[in-house]
Amino acid sequence: MRPAASDSRPPPRPPRSLAPAVLVMGKGGVGKTTVAAALATLEAETHGMAALVEFGDGESGKRALGRSHRGVEHVVITAAEAIQRGATPLFGSATVAKLALGNFAMRPLLRAAPAIRELAMLESVRQVVAARPGVRVVVDMPATGHAVAWLRTARQGREFLGSGPMFELCDRVSRELVAPGCASIVVVTLPEALVLEETLELCESIARDPGLEVARVVVNRVPLPLSREALVDARALAATEGALARPAAALVALLEAREAASAGAAEALEVFARGPHAIWRVPLAPVDPSARDVARWLRAEGAA
Amino acid sequence: MKDPLVIVCAGGGGVGKTTTSAALALALAARGHQTLIVTIDPARRLAGAMGVPVTDEVTLVPLAAAKGRLSALMPDPRRSMRAFIDYLFADEPEAKARVLSNKLYIGLADAAAGVHELVAMNLVARAATDGDFDVVVIDTAPSRHAIDFVTYPARLAALLGGRSVSWLAGLAQRSGGAAPAPRALLSWGTGHVEHLLARVTGPNLVRDTADLFGDLALVRERFVALTRRASELLLGERVAYALVAAPTAAARDDVIFLAARLEKLGRRPRAIVLNRADTRPAPWVSALRAGRGVAPSITDVLDALEEERSTRSSAADGLAAHLHAKLPWASIVRLPYVEASAPEVIVAALSSELDAHLAALLPEAR
Repeated sequence: MRPAASDSRPPPRPPRSLAPAVLVMGKGGVGKTTVAAALATLEAETHGMAALVEFGDGESGKRALGRSHRGVEHVVITAAEAIQRGATPLFGSATVAKLALGNFAMRPLLRAAPAIRELAMLESVRQVVAARPGVRVVVDMPATGHAVAWLRTARQGREFLGSGPMFELCDRVSRELVAPGCASIVVVTLPEALVLEETLELCESIARDPGLEVARVVVNRVPLPLSREALVDARALAATEGALARPAAALVALLEAREAASAGAAEALEVFARGPHAIWRVPLAPVDPSARDVARWLRAEGAA
Repeated sequence: MKDPLVIVCAGGGGVGKTTTSAALALALAARGHQTLIVTIDPARRLAGAMGVPVTDEVTLVPLAAAKGRLSALMPDPRRSMRAFIDYLFADEPEAKARVLSNKLYIGLADAAAGVHELVAMNLVARAATDGDFDVVVIDTAPSRHAIDFVTYPARLAALLGGRSVSWLAGLAQRSGGAAPAPRALLSWGTGHVEHLLARVTGPNLVRDTADLFGDLALVRERFVALTRRASELLLGERVAYALVAAPTAAARDDVIFLAARLEKLGRRPRAIVLNRADTRPAPWVSALRAGRGVAPSITDVLDALEEERSTRSSAADGLAAHLHAKLPWASIVRLPYVEASAPEVIVAALSSELDAHLAALLPEAR
């Protein structure tokens, strides 16, 4: 299956190459994890090696990668480990960090305090990237709202703290991870009006703060338009007086909805095409596609 | 005032949870229940579908099918924190001014993941107290941790009432002072941690944290009263949990994960709603397929549609069987895939489908 190509599509400008860290963002349920796994797969196919970073239990990345994912290193970062790892240099030693974090007063604070976990996870990502020079690291970020807040924590922490080891940590994350040239943003979206609108807002919001450019937009699950001829015939049937007029009207509504979805996608593609980021389209599949399927479709779209 | 029944809808992203919650609320209103639909998720999808603004105020939904009985509460994450502080510090204007200018609060209000959920939940508690609702439908954020937010109040109240705060309150004065005498590693005391904390984070964070918690401790009573009410709303006897899924592996795993989180809280899902889970072709598809003299172009399209539907359907059969085996006590409600451009059309269609299943979704009478 190939994404439906629209003839009016402007020739894609040669996309700027991606930074060492690729942060995959998008609202929940748009297929972020599969696209992230596909990008890592594609990278490994092209350059022999890649890393896929996932937060949490690592289940979804594993499921998306499937059994054969040669060359893709799957890195799972949990909040607890990230805090421990991030705190170790701050406190001077792992033992001291452990004692301090386990202190009766610190424990509830850490559980209630926002931003600490986020910051620690970003620091872990920075370490993963730094430890793998020349290897592209694809990060499956949390859903939109949270992901943008995550990316801002480092700058906010830096401004707020002013000095000290934690300030330095924030500063390091800001300079070495959440910075142009260090990280590229890939946004995954769906060809639906409301979702696309949110995606545009997300792109603007990321450009404003933390000032990262969205390098690629992946429009996932692009519906293939059904036959134009059927729409004409169904409209004619719906206009008759017969018993099939009402069923035909229902078909017209469905075909129009599909057409609107593909037209909406095409329209949005044009809007994005004027921007600095390249657009890749992934077609709608009846059931979950594997990362390898998506990687194949992305390659056909000019990725890699 | 009466206590409303509560239906909490949870599920992963992309399964149609927001649309389903809206459809459920609409179906309840159409049946004559005074209904409130609340979305914790900052997305504006539902607002668009229902024709209401994103605001901290309860708004009447202008849909004819709602018969004037459906209200919506869609708190804006950018404003809800301020509303919350206004409420907490209603009697403490000086502390409120201090909090609002506290740098930590400013960062917190802007960036904190989870704060919005907490704030939104408190607005729900207030709306349920002030309003006259029979049922409240809560559309949680599309996250595996969507239900964990019910534990925030207890966690925060414990924090505010616990030793941490008195420790912190004294910390600001002490943090500028000399380091405590070194002690044996095993008798690690607070002084040592304080010193380390101040060294690691710098004095600003310690001072602002101490100030913020000191001020929050002032309004602890008010906070606890509010959170107790919210806990009752979300974990009480009158709550039913509906987990929403679609026939994908990710959605299946999300439902099982959420059910496990609920189990930890001593609760079980009342129902699992499966979207895109049509069991048979739509009547109009069958009518057209059986019709004579239908153009071949139409027949071809119907064949393609039927193939898509049967793929979805068998995936949904597998999902339903799997979930039933894992969570046999939950009823499974299957909804068809509704394809339309306008969200309100989808909401209306799903709402008529849900009408037959309201008894399975409402909390059981106890």
